[in-house]
Amino acid sequence: MKGSVGIGLRRDIADEVLSSDIIHPDFIEFAPENWMGMGGYWNRIRQRAVEKYPVSCHGLSLSLGSPEELDWNFIKDLKVFLDENKVTVFSEHLSYTKSNNAHLYDLLPIPFREDAVDHVADRIKKVQDFLGRQIAIENVSYYTPVAAEMTESQFINSIVEKADCKLLLDVNNVYVNAFNHKYDAKVFIDQMPLDKVEYIHMAGHEQIEEDLIIDTHGKAIIDPVFDLFEYTIQKMHPVPVLLERDYNFEDLPAISAELEKLRSLIKNHWEAVHETSK
Amino acid sequence: MKLRSETAEIQELLGKYCRTGEEVALPGITEGRVHHYRRLVYNAVKNTMDQAFPITVASMEEEEWDKLVHEFFSKHPTTSTQIWKLPYEFYQYHLSAGTAGRLKKPYLNDLLYFEWAEIEIHTMPDKSIDPYTDKGDPLSDKLLLNPEYEIIRLEYPVHIQAVKGIELKKGSYFVLLYREPGTGHVKFLDLSILHAFILTRIFETGESVQSFKGEIAQLAQVESEKYLDNHLTDFVNNLIDRQMILGYRKV
Repeated sequence: MKGSVGIGLRRDIADEVLSSDIIHPDFIEFAPENWMGMGGYWNRIRQRAVEKYPVSCHGLSLSLGSPEELDWNFIKDLKVFLDENKVTVFSEHLSYTKSNNAHLYDLLPIPFREDAVDHVADRIKKVQDFLGRQIAIENVSYYTPVAAEMTESQFINSIVEKADCKLLLDVNNVYVNAFNHKYDAKVFIDQMPLDKVEYIHMAGHEQIEEDLIIDTHGKAIIDPVFDLFEYTIQKMHPVPVLLERDYNFEDLPAISAELEKLRSLIKNHWEAVHETSK
Repeated sequence: MKLRSETAEIQELLGKYCRTGEEVALPGITEGRVHHYRRLVYNAVKNTMDQAFPITVASMEEEEWDKLVHEFFSKHPTTSTQIWKLPYEFYQYHLSAGTAGRLKKPYLNDLLYFEWAEIEIHTMPDKSIDPYTDKGDPLSDKLLLNPEYEIIRLEYPVHIQAVKGIELKKGSYFVLLYREPGTGHVKFLDLSILHAFILTRIFETGESVQSFKGEIAQLAQVESEKYLDNHLTDFVNNLIDRQMILGYRKV
């Protein structure tokens, strides 16, 4: 899947992804939680998707940053799902979604602190040991830091190193965070462990206040994010790239054009450079 | 645990704020930003409930519905890792909390359960199907039911009428919900207690209808065997047409 371009399999576009000539991803991504244990119509859609495309999975509920214990029953089910669907890349968020034993169904920011680094790295290692594979953790968008004692880039670097895991580099999230917290996105990219990147996410977002962007996955990718993507891929090896779109699927040709634009950028930088260097 | 208790407490405070919306003092945050987390978290839960319970939502004022969602999410520690299963926890919470009585909506538990049952049947894991044929006798041959079904018992007929005036219709209602094999669509049928008994008996024992026709006659208080045979034949054929009965078991 290296250098390929995929799209998240959402129910709203499942038929088009499986049957139409409008969208041609090289691979698809599932959120396992949306498909695990499900029968009937959606199970058949999942089976068709797995037969047609290579599959990556992007988890929502592992809650790697939670203070409480990992949910081992869930992780056991997850392992079965990943194996059954021949999942090539599994990623999760560097955040927490569970607190006081209650699930929250969104991504809360972990305090950027040394003890949190140790705690999260330890949990990632346990999950990796059980799943029998390295996982990729995603740099999440966040709207406020909470009780930080180090920078975001220090936090991410430390965890990737201590957990010996991979990084899912969400380029849109870097842009969003740089805007929201007033730092230079390219400097941040330079600070990332790019040799550990296994996967890239690209997405649209929404600016809701003068100084605040929310990571919505509901709009087209803006040019500055494409620019940041181009800047990033020149500095690293080829990996799969995913277009995240969670809603607003009315204009499928436009979404298809985004896939094509990503392919074109990849072709310009990765294929040319890596062909030349062979 | 490698996490300092102070860090854990900060994380739990943010989590508590997202669940309840009640202000908390968090260190090291950017002013005016943290409320977006409460908004995003609550919207995810609210949207899930809105989609799961459209009839219930339409049956009450928006503010009243919002209070039910808020109460559920702030008081109940949600256990499901899969948000699409959360409506069942919502139903269970309000059943235990006695919300139907408090709101003087005695049908509320039935309505929530009926709407959840539709989701449950639609998404339930696929079940294996024994070999069957479409050739057979509706009474004397063993029937194979579509295994992806549920019969639920309700006190109020929320499946066949709007909630206005439904308080006066308290009784015993049976609803068959099943998943159509080809499309995966959920269908439901209002059942008499007699038909609920017949289907349950076939499913549990695998017997032919003929083998317990005497009990059916007693329950239905029908003396004419010909009438009963015609009725049962029509019942079986109707359910075959609807794909609730898949056919006749292969011997």
